[in-house]
Amino acid sequence: MRFLDLVSLIFYNLSRRKGRVLLTAVGVVIGTSAVVVLVSLAVGLRENATKQLWGINDLTSIEVYPGYNVKSSGGGMMMGGGGEIEDIKYLTPNAIKEFEAIPGVKQVIVEDYFQGNLNVIHGKLHGYSSLMGISLDDLADMGLEANAGTTELVKGTAIVGSWINRNFYDPKARPDDPPLEPPDLMGQTLKFVVSKWSQDGIEIKKTYSIKIVGVLKESRGQADGSIFMRLEDVTAWNEWVRGTRINRNKEGYSNVIVKVESPEQVIDITDQINTLGYMAYTPQATVQGINSFFTILQVIFGGVGAIALLVAAIGIANTMAMAILERTREIGLMKAIGATNKDVMSIFLGEAAGIGFIGGLGGVIFGWGASAILNIVAVSYYASQASEGGGSPLSSVASTPFWLPAFALIFATVIGLISGLYPALRAATLVPVTALKYE
Amino acid sequence: MKNQPFVRVSELHKDFKMGETLVKALNGVSIGIERGSFTVIMGPSGSGKSTLLYLIGGLDWPTAGTIHVDEQEIETLDENTLAVFRRNKVGFIFQSFNLIASMAAEENVSFPLRFSGINPAERKVRSQKLLDLVGLSDRMTHRPTELSGGQQQRVAVARALINDPPLILADEPTGNLDSFSGLAIMQLLSDLHKAGKTIIVVTHDPRMRQFATNMVFLLDGSIVSEADYKDATELLTQPFEKG
Repeated sequence: MRFLDLVSLIFYNLSRRKGRVLLTAVGVVIGTSAVVVLVSLAVGLRENATKQLWGINDLTSIEVYPGYNVKSSGGGMMMGGGGEIEDIKYLTPNAIKEFEAIPGVKQVIVEDYFQGNLNVIHGKLHGYSSLMGISLDDLADMGLEANAGTTELVKGTAIVGSWINRNFYDPKARPDDPPLEPPDLMGQTLKFVVSKWSQDGIEIKKTYSIKIVGVLKESRGQADGSIFMRLEDVTAWNEWVRGTRINRNKEGYSNVIVKVESPEQVIDITDQINTLGYMAYTPQATVQGINSFFTILQVIFGGVGAIALLVAAIGIANTMAMAILERTREIGLMKAIGATNKDVMSIFLGEAAGIGFIGGLGGVIFGWGASAILNIVAVSYYASQASEGGGSPLSSVASTPFWLPAFALIFATVIGLISGLYPALRAATLVPVTALKYE
Repeated sequence: MKNQPFVRVSELHKDFKMGETLVKALNGVSIGIERGSFTVIMGPSGSGKSTLLYLIGGLDWPTAGTIHVDEQEIETLDENTLAVFRRNKVGFIFQSFNLIASMAAEENVSFPLRFSGINPAERKVRSQKLLDLVGLSDRMTHRPTELSGGQQQRVAVARALINDPPLILADEPTGNLDSFSGLAIMQLLSDLHKAGKTIIVVTHDPRMRQFATNMVFLLDGSIVSEADYKDATELLTQPFEKG
């Protein structure tokens, strides 16, 4: 039997029982659309979750902190948690050399936070921020971009994160004053008032005039809320706060960033650094964790849809079994006029797969439409919520990946095919004379 | 081997299990049917005549015995080869026509050609030609429900001829027809016989005898003489007398 004849006969047979085929296909439509909507929802949630993550824009970075080996109550050694600290692995220049020697490491950037109090003054406005000293000439090496000015750090200047201007307030403002417009800090010379407390409880202040030479683009990371200066500037201020010189060979740096050549190497190098006794963290691990969670969610959601498809599959099997009972004489006739078992099997399998395909096609269209409606409703709802209560609006809640409609269609067709296996096998193995005499 | 009958049946047995009871439908039947003959098989209900016909047509398997059709021993064939045998060698005509209700006459006639891999254009040409032959050229697009019984059976005859088989097997072809339509079908079968086809007809209809070149009488699964057949059928038709 020619393939085209087989296909035309299958669709001819399906068209003979339109009502029943459509009713059976409705089950598949519901199942397939459930798969499409739920998986789209899971994918959309995953995309939104990863977008909302802090600092995921740079997946080649590993943050490294000193390692604390803590003695556990059982006497063994363990990392982190409570207990008595037995050994500290400081981020000394030697440790940095160790990191640089790891294959795949591109650069090690030293960070040091200002440990005193900082008050930033711009005219009558006061601001607050964390101040970070960094061993880089150019913040572009950290993957940061300038929204205004430069990313190049020069001694005695500072570059501010994109949200810093929101941290300014007027200390003399009255409650009924209009909300403050965030100031434009680019090119401004700000007063950095650093302070410490003496042993007899007196606050000692020092004021520096620092020019803002750059405002960074929003990175949705820690940089958005930080002010960057050169490492030696911040180290000098920290030494003033402490009243002693800092011996890096002994107590090291507060943390370093290890830049890796490619994102694929990040997890492996993080593990290597942890094995050396330091505490290494990469946002990629969080992304992977979130991805794993949403993959599980996707499977669960897909599974719920698949249950609906399974119910539909039973419907297909029932329809095909009924069709075979009704068409037993026709099967006998087909065999009498020369149809082989394979021909009969192909016809009935094709009909079952055809019901799956029709239902799958309807389900994909319906599911895609439902996802689109869900997006319109949810996005407008979140947009109104965001305008009232702040926060970033969602672009979509359900995202249909390009492979999903094709997968759902193939899946529904295969489900139909599987459902038709037993009835088709029964039809194919009927003894022709028995089939012809069937009443 | 030369001069062998076209259809050769030897020591054919066919048993059916009806619950716990074993029914012997055929009990050692042996016949030879020559190529180009018109054989009429007669017998009362349950005599095994339809069973014999279906076994010759390869629609069922015997319990014992051999069946040769055109030098091919068919009871040993696997299901696929048997399907090809039925497609190429045999045309079936049934009492209840067995037409597909949703298909037009032309589609019913050409239906077997789908399994032969013949393209739609060729199928159409062949089916139109055969419908013309059976006198239904003006009913090609009609569905079975729009045709009379006689017309439906003529469509079935055309369908049986579509693969140009040498053997035509007809099971009670006039059983569901009025006497006039029945006679028309008999005439059609006679024409096919004259055109060289080997015809085997199972029937109760005594009018079919006038077209037959040989007669086979079956009683209780065995071949009997005409005299024995007559005695038995007369006995069967006598009114039942009490005591």
